[in-house]
Formats: sequence, C-alpha cells, structure tokens
Amino acid sequence: MKPNFTQKVTNWGNFPVVEKEVKSEDSLQKIKDFVKSNNEIIARGNGRCYGDASLSEHIFSTKRLNKFISFDRLNGIIECESGVLLSDILEVVVPQGYFLYVTPGTKFISVGGAIASDVHGKNHHAEGCFSEYVIEFSLLNENGEVLTCSREENSEKFWSTIGGMGLTGIILSAKFKLKNIETAYIRQESIKAENLDEIFKLFEESESWTYNVAWIDCLQTGKNIGRSIMMRGEHAFKHQLPKKLQENPLRLKKKFSPTVPFYFPNFVLNNLTVKLFNLLYFNKQRSKEIKNYIDYETFFYPLDAVNDWNKIYGKTGFIQYQMVIPKEKGKEGMKRILETIAKSGNGSFLAVLKLFGKNNPEAYNSFPFEGYTLALDFKVNSKLKNLVEKLDAIVEEFGGRIYLTKDSMSKSSLTNYLQNVQNPKFVSLQHKRIINNN
Amino acid sequence: MIILGSNSEVAQSFVEKVLEAGGKYSTIFLFTSNKETTEKFAKHIDVKYFQHSEIIELDLMKEIDYTKFDDITSDLLFCATGYLGEGTEEGLYDNKNTEKIIDINYAKLVPVLNFFAEKMERQRSGNMIVLSSVAGDRGRQSNFIYGSAKAGLTAYLSGLRNYLFDKKVHVMTVKPGFMETKMTEGLPLNPKLTATPKQAAESIYKAYKSQKNVAYVLPIWSIIMLIIKNIPEFIFKKLKL
Repeated sequence: MKPNFTQKVTNWGNFPVVEKEVKSEDSLQKIKDFVKSNNEIIARGNGRCYGDASLSEHIFSTKRLNKFISFDRLNGIIECESGVLLSDILEVVVPQGYFLYVTPGTKFISVGGAIASDVHGKNHHAEGCFSEYVIEFSLLNENGEVLTCSREENSEKFWSTIGGMGLTGIILSAKFKLKNIETAYIRQESIKAENLDEIFKLFEESESWTYNVAWIDCLQTGKNIGRSIMMRGEHAFKHQLPKKLQENPLRLKKKFSPTVPFYFPNFVLNNLTVKLFNLLYFNKQRSKEIKNYIDYETFFYPLDAVNDWNKIYGKTGFIQYQMVIPKEKGKEGMKRILETIAKSGNGSFLAVLKLFGKNNPEAYNSFPFEGYTLALDFKVNSKLKNLVEKLDAIVEEFGGRIYLTKDSMSKSSLTNYLQNVQNPKFVSLQHKRIINNN
Repeated sequence: MIILGSNSEVAQSFVEKVLEAGGKYSTIFLFTSNKETTEKFAKHIDVKYFQHSEIIELDLMKEIDYTKFDDITSDLLFCATGYLGEGTEEGLYDNKNTEKIIDINYAKLVPVLNFFAEKMERQRSGNMIVLSSVAGDRGRQSNFIYGSAKAGLTAYLSGLRNYLFDKKVHVMTVKPGFMETKMTEGLPLNPKLTATPKQAAESIYKAYKSQKNVAYVLPIWSIIMLIIKNIPEFIFKKLKL
C-alpha cells in the first residue's frame, strides 16, 4: 500500500469541499521538508474557519503540534504548540485561576488559527484582539527558516502574520499572556431590545462592561427591525457567587454534550423553522431584564455544547457572513442589511451583533475596526449568491469590510485588505480567489 | 508508570488518559528511541498534569545496558514499540527490512519485557499492557513478516500471562486493528475500522481497569479476526488479503 495523502477536506461551513493533499507531522525536520518540496501550502488547525481560508493545494495540518511547552503560573504566561486548542488551554488554566484574554465564540480553534485570524470576542471594545496578549511566536517562513517573532524581534513578520491568514508561513508555537480570574463564572445581564434604536442605545450604555454582544432576530421587519437581546457580562468574584458555587469556584462540572448524528435533510431549515426558532428564543426570556450567574462555557460557548452543530445545515453546507461597518454609519447600514435579509427570505438564525472598539493600528491585517459588526449564518442554496452580492454592495457603500475567517464568496474589494503577505510558498484557495477577482 | 515506545501516539494518549483519570506517579519513565520528540511530551505532561517524568534512551536495534534500568520499578508498564517496515510487495526479500521488523516487534523486545516482568514478579504485583496486532492472528500475504513477528509476541504474552498469574502480575495483550497514527497516515483505511489514538487509549484503559486478558480496540475487530481465523486453509491460501 502506497500512501496517498489526497483527501476530501472542508472547513466548518462544509462549503466548499475540495480534494487536496493533507499532511501532518510533528518533527520540525519533516515539516521543513514538506515546505521545501511544495508550493501553495497553507496551515490548517482545527478547520473552524468557515470557508476556504485554510484550504490549498497542500494543506499542513497542525493536529500533531498539540503539546504544551511551558506554563508560568506566577505570571500567567503560557506557551504551547500551534495546534493546541483553546479548549485544551482552558482545561489547564481555569482551575489555576486564569482565563484567555480574548476568545471567539468557539473554544475549538487552534492557537495558530487564533493568531492567523487575530480573533476577537465579546470584549473587543475593551480588550482588543487576541494579538494584544501574544508575547511571541515561532514561524516557519517561505525559506524554511524558523523565526522567533515578537514586537522586538522580527517585528515586521510579527505584525504581517497577525491576522495574515497563514500566508506568511506556518506558526509552530506561541507564547501569550493570560487573564486572572477568581471564578469560572460570569455575572450576566440580558436585556431585551424591541428594535434597532434600543439595541444601539444599549451598546452605547454597555461600553463599560467587559463583555457585551447581542443576539438579533434578522427576520423582523418594519418597527420590529433589530429586535434583539443584549447579553453583557463580567467575570464574577468569589464573594458574589451563590454559596453553593463558592466552594469550588474554579471547577465546572462536566456536562453532557449531545452530538448532531447526521446531516439534516435540506427541508428541515427553512424560513418558517428559523422564524419559529427566533420567536421561541426571544420569548424564552419573559422579563425585560435578567441578572444571573452562569458558567463561562454557557456564556462564551453556547454552541460548543452541541457537537457537530454545523450538520443541521445539511450536506450542502452554509456560509457565515460577517462584516464591519464604521460606527458613525452603523445604524443606517445595519438597517439596510437587516431589511435586505428579511426580504430575501434567506433566514439566518444566530445572528450576532457587536460594537467593536478602536483597532490597534500596528496590527494592520486584523479585521476589526471601530464600528458595528454583524455575523450571520446562511444555508448554501440557489438564492445565496444573489443575497451575498446585495449585502456586499451595502457593505461597500458604507465603507465596511468582510472577515476573512468567515468569507467564502464575497466581493474581493471587501476582502483584499491584507498587506505584506505575498509569496508563492504560502497561498490559500481563498487568497487565490481574492487576487484573481481583481 | 513505565512506557516503552514513548513517541507512539497511542502510548501518549494512554498516559494522558491515566493522568486525567486521576492517576499520580512520582515519576513516569519514558523509554524512547528519539529523545528529542519525547522531550516535548515530557514538558507537555508537566504543564498539563504537574507530572514529573524521566526520559530514558532505549534503541532496540542497539546493545542494551540493563544496569542503567536497575532502579526503575513500577506497577504499570505500557509497551507500544512497533515497526511496520515495508510490506510484502516492497520488502519481502530485503533482509535488512525483514530483520528489523522481527527484531523490533519480537526478538529484541522480548528480553526487555522479560527484564521488567522479573521485577514485577519479585514485587508480586503489577500490570503489563503490551500492544501486539491483529496482523498476528493469522499470516496474510500482504504483511506476514510483521504479522509473524506479532504472532510471536502474542504467543509470548499469552505464556507470560499464564506464568505470572499466580505471581499476582497481570499481562494484557492489546490488538489495535487500524489506527490513525503517523505510521498509517495516507493509507486508505476504512474509517469505520479505524480508531484514533485517543479512542484507542480510552478503550485500552477500560480493558485494563476490567483486567481483560486480550483486548481489541474496536469490538468489530474481534468479529473480523474470528472470521479470518476460521476460514479453512485451502480457501484462505487463495485469498488476496
């Protein structure tokens, strides 16, 4: 039997699906050999980007770079290989009273992916992107050299790699700072907003909260447009917790997580079921405002509780569409976008709205800038291309752009914002698509 | 805990499984032919589980100085050494290949296992978990050098289990079947018959806790091998397996 490394591979949206070479190694020499003998390589972590960002002719999977290297428990600094998942890190650091400074809405992403996407979370307005806390990382570049990159050393590579979507090389390991926590719980307030005016006002009022995000029902029209629930939170202190939780404030009980066993047939998700879901979700909360304490898993990673939830979108897959629109035009832009979606009948559940804070100008490849960002899931179907074109036009009109980690079909003028990443060694299908559209 | 073949992904997953289940050891002895890669694992378990370990170089293809291992004792030994080598088509008449397969999987391994078996016999307690292979259940044309070496190992383990039984030492033979490891990457393995190292470790840990004698990692392999073992020879010799 001769090995054959070509296999079907797709990311979280199950779209697109391609047949490409996938290799995974743990020895540096073998990784170097792989880089030397191929062109058009891209690193891939846990495949949690949605589209074609981590696909290429030759995919280097970091799944075997899964080891911790060091943990300075006194100063809260951890170092690990790039294939280690945020979930692995949380398991180790939370019981020691530490948390990730920045985490996206899933903990099943790799550290390499977190840097390459420069991920953001519910605290972007207060604490910025993942890169703010990265001390250094090691990068295997196009010449097969391993560079230590930090703000002082190889700083050019450091900044081009942050948010650089893997186009500067393979991140092998990284060292970054952690945040002190007293408990594994979040003090949460959730507040219902009846329309866009209310939710925008809530965002302005919630700026002093470390975490804030809104779930928005994007099928509402007319005066109900923008109906949403604002969720804001702070890491809870021990003395605030109910007595029962105070005994072991940093340990969570293992919860059962169900798995979606198969791809749902296409008819399951339609406008009606999505509408119904959104209605139930909105009315689950009876009162205008709820204050409670919830564990960090529930607050940050509600979807991680269901394994393989992407299968509910069926075999044809789905895309996630995430854009940012400058703050001053935010309300008008969002209104136009929500109207367009409601009219299209391509319902999205789980639309998430958030107000980004100021960007770090040094991290020039990072997606976020000050403004409103909306993330939507759409099932892949015949109407989708048309909807994306319409949405892209609005985003462009309002001076916004698209998050590359989610993108698989947007207009290249909205996605062609990376700088200093051109080389023939490290290229993704996404990058080729964007360049060729120009 | 003593680990032979510490760079094996199954061995590493097994160590993590034991530690996750709350196992505590003053030292885990990591025997390896490649110190550099094992060092990464040693650091990893230190960070993740506060677990101290010691790396000991052991290359079965070289002369072994047993005096260096005199002070090493433990209640639990896990052996995942193995070498697939070239299969029949590429490597049958290559004597170097054949010898290496026999040495690593059987000839040079048995004395090492004996060395630790004797220690356990003396301390009158212990568990030895050794990975053999379904390939050892019956020789098939595609890889019977490997298969015969593993068959030898399986027979050795069966005898050792019998011999150590009233000395309070338990020997478990594990027959993994297909596994998704570095050794098999790129091979067209049926995913339904293939276990990840993590799944394998879970299954082996469970079998160890219930003191099984012979364990297949995926239950389906016991059925497959039962069938393969029972095909009459006059038919079997004509099959392309």
